[in-house]
Amino acid sequence: MSQHVNTTAAEHKAITTAQRSRNLLGHPYAGVVMLLVFYLILAAVFTTLSPYFLTFKNLVSIGSNMAFIGLMAAAGTPLIIAGGLDLSVAAVAGISGVVVAMCYANGIDIWVSCGIALVIGAGIGAGNGALTNGLRLNPFIVTLGTMSIITGLSLVLTGGLTQPLLTEGFNWIGSGKIYGMPVPLLIMLVIFLLIWWVMAFTPFGRFIYASGGNPEASRMLGIPVDRTQMILYVVSGLSGALAGIIVAAMLGAAAPDSVGKHLLTVIAAIILGGTSLFGGRGSVWGTLLAVLILGTLNNGLTLLNVSSFWQDVTKGTVLLLAVGLDQLRVRSQN
Amino acid sequence: MADKRLLDMSGVRKSFGGVPVLVDVGFHLDAGEVVALLGANGAGKSTLMKILSGNYTRDAGAIAIDGSPVEIRSPADALALGIRMLPQELSIFPDMTVAENIMIGAMPRKGLHVDAAAMEARATQLLKRLGLDWLSPRTRMGTLSHHVQRIVEIARAMNGNARVLIMDEPTASLAAEEVQLLFDIIRRLQAEGISIIYISHYLKEVFAISGRVVVLRDGRNAGDFATARTDVDEVLHAIVGNRVGDLYPAFSASSGAGDDVVTVEGLTVEGWLRGVDFTVRRGTITGVHGLIGSGAEMIGRSLFGAVPRTKIASATVGGKPYTITTPGRAVEAGLGLVAAERKREGIIAMLTLRENLSIANMPLFTRGMTVDREKEATTAAEWIRRLSIRARGPEQPIGTLSGGNQQKVCLARWLLGDLSVLILEEPTRGVDVGARQEIYRQIRQLADQGLGILLISSDAEEVAGLADRSIVLAGGVVTETYEQPTDASALMSAASKPAVAA
Repeated sequence: MSQHVNTTAAEHKAITTAQRSRNLLGHPYAGVVMLLVFYLILAAVFTTLSPYFLTFKNLVSIGSNMAFIGLMAAAGTPLIIAGGLDLSVAAVAGISGVVVAMCYANGIDIWVSCGIALVIGAGIGAGNGALTNGLRLNPFIVTLGTMSIITGLSLVLTGGLTQPLLTEGFNWIGSGKIYGMPVPLLIMLVIFLLIWWVMAFTPFGRFIYASGGNPEASRMLGIPVDRTQMILYVVSGLSGALAGIIVAAMLGAAAPDSVGKHLLTVIAAIILGGTSLFGGRGSVWGTLLAVLILGTLNNGLTLLNVSSFWQDVTKGTVLLLAVGLDQLRVRSQN
Repeated sequence: MADKRLLDMSGVRKSFGGVPVLVDVGFHLDAGEVVALLGANGAGKSTLMKILSGNYTRDAGAIAIDGSPVEIRSPADALALGIRMLPQELSIFPDMTVAENIMIGAMPRKGLHVDAAAMEARATQLLKRLGLDWLSPRTRMGTLSHHVQRIVEIARAMNGNARVLIMDEPTASLAAEEVQLLFDIIRRLQAEGISIIYISHYLKEVFAISGRVVVLRDGRNAGDFATARTDVDEVLHAIVGNRVGDLYPAFSASSGAGDDVVTVEGLTVEGWLRGVDFTVRRGTITGVHGLIGSGAEMIGRSLFGAVPRTKIASATVGGKPYTITTPGRAVEAGLGLVAAERKREGIIAMLTLRENLSIANMPLFTRGMTVDREKEATTAAEWIRRLSIRARGPEQPIGTLSGGNQQKVCLARWLLGDLSVLILEEPTRGVDVGARQEIYRQIRQLADQGLGILLISSDAEEVAGLADRSIVLAGGVVTETYEQPTDASALMSAASKPAVAA
């Protein structure tokens, strides 16, 4: 009899442990914690391999180099969660730098030029939103189209040439520091905080998750699905324009093709961060960690003198690994 | 008798994460037998069937076919043994032909090519077996009506050496005469010696088609009756244990007398409704009954602004003129709608119970610019208690609740706001008997509190049991109006009346 009781007690304990670990894995932040652990392991590996890696200067330079990518990924996260997608964001960044440089070259005040670039970015976002919502077109197709148009226009406007853009106040945005922290990094962090706050605490944040989680049900409940997505397309366009301004300020020049090639990194960061491409699921902190991981990977491999050709291979491998692991995690809950 | 025994499952046990779902369950089946498997949601029906079809593996117990023990470790094992499952939701390829849809799992080949002639011949043969001689195997699947697609799925299941066919809620969205067609097919298969396991919440169907009724409750066997020697009360009792009273609450003395809170004139939806007039009264349940395709299914959602190309002559809500625009405006006017397709149009599966409850009423839960989560959580806890929703708590993702409990949340979310009219579409579709009773009681209580309720249902018994007054639709027009409760047979005969040409 007593033996029997003991067995069931042991069984019970095993069950609760299994259940607890399942609950832990199922927690909404489990994915973010997994990324954090992965980031720490990565940092530890690079620290042992390179003495230069774990210095304040190097860490800050990672952040500052990734800032414009992080900015676009931060804005892209809620958009994808809400069921949208913006492939044109990096192209918007490209044309934004070109617009600033050309306006400035034509005697317009530098800050007014920046304002014009932001308005154009917002306008392109609104255009993307109007095409996807108004005509019910697939966002992949729409933004692939606008991406191509905008990239082409940047080249047409500049003849493919880099436009110099050197003016002190403006370049401070790219290379200035506040208490030792680079301005681009600070801008990115502020944007992340702002988007996190909106997503986590405001009714609009709820509409983001609801719109992507089940657009049909959301419409039946009177949730403004189209308006939610429209606003997020505009925000994505704005983020592209701001990223373009930051890159132009960092380089002291606007190259029409300077940002476009980073589009895949932006999308990769969002997906790596645990956001579902089908909408409804994801968090902006996951995206931030993913941006850090991708930046660290790049930086570490460069420090270790690995050819930049291999860096793309690594990036892709990490992305597939992370998404695979996340899928296993989600499946383990069922 | 013993030589007819086709399937014998005994002592089947299964737990998920330490929670027992099946405890020593036994189930047997003779060749050519139609057995109804009944039980409330969560009773273990689907788990047992998923074990039989190889989607789950059992923890303990034995399965024997033709008297010899078998192991079913994967769906492929089950298929090889002749066990076929017809899924609850359609799984068709609308752009392929009927023949391709039937043969998709076992395309006959000639070298590297699909042998189209053999495929069509085989498909034709299978369709013939089901009495569908008129259907060409070259028809594109997407052009067929829903119930014919269903039957093509049965043909697919019959391909090969099928011996047991599991049907999970096969009539969920079929109209009465389509159900008859399905029953004809079941009888044909039965005559061929194929055994059918029929899972349904509709007791009337169960009594019409099955030879035996097996009931599970809380993961255990709770009854095994020869259909001819039992009745609805006995079966219901086995399903819900000793929890049953009457399924429908009593009519209120005061209801039916309230003033009009909605008036609609000339509601028209291209291809569905032709100038329908109706009213909804305060404190009253107004029923709308009609078969699938009668237009009844469009009445609520078109009024709600969810159907394109809706026209209306005039309408008022709460005494004020109302124009149909978007669901958002309908909500502002004081309308709420619980949609028929719960998974697709009702719940946001990834969000929690708490978030699903508040989402249509965000202004109520907003303080300054942010969401008041504490208020959300206490409200959710309160409604879990009031509607006896079976959930771990407000933070459980709603997708993991049973259908009946999801429906209670869908109902509750409209009761938070300043609602004057609640439109309910098929409020108990796919909901088990226990939860149905609870939902009916809540609907009555809401009416008693002064809400105007528009109850739209293709289940005549539901309308008869609940509505204080009702209208019946057929062919897009109102064919009958009742100003007092009526019985199901009257509703059914009005619903099958041919529509008068407008």
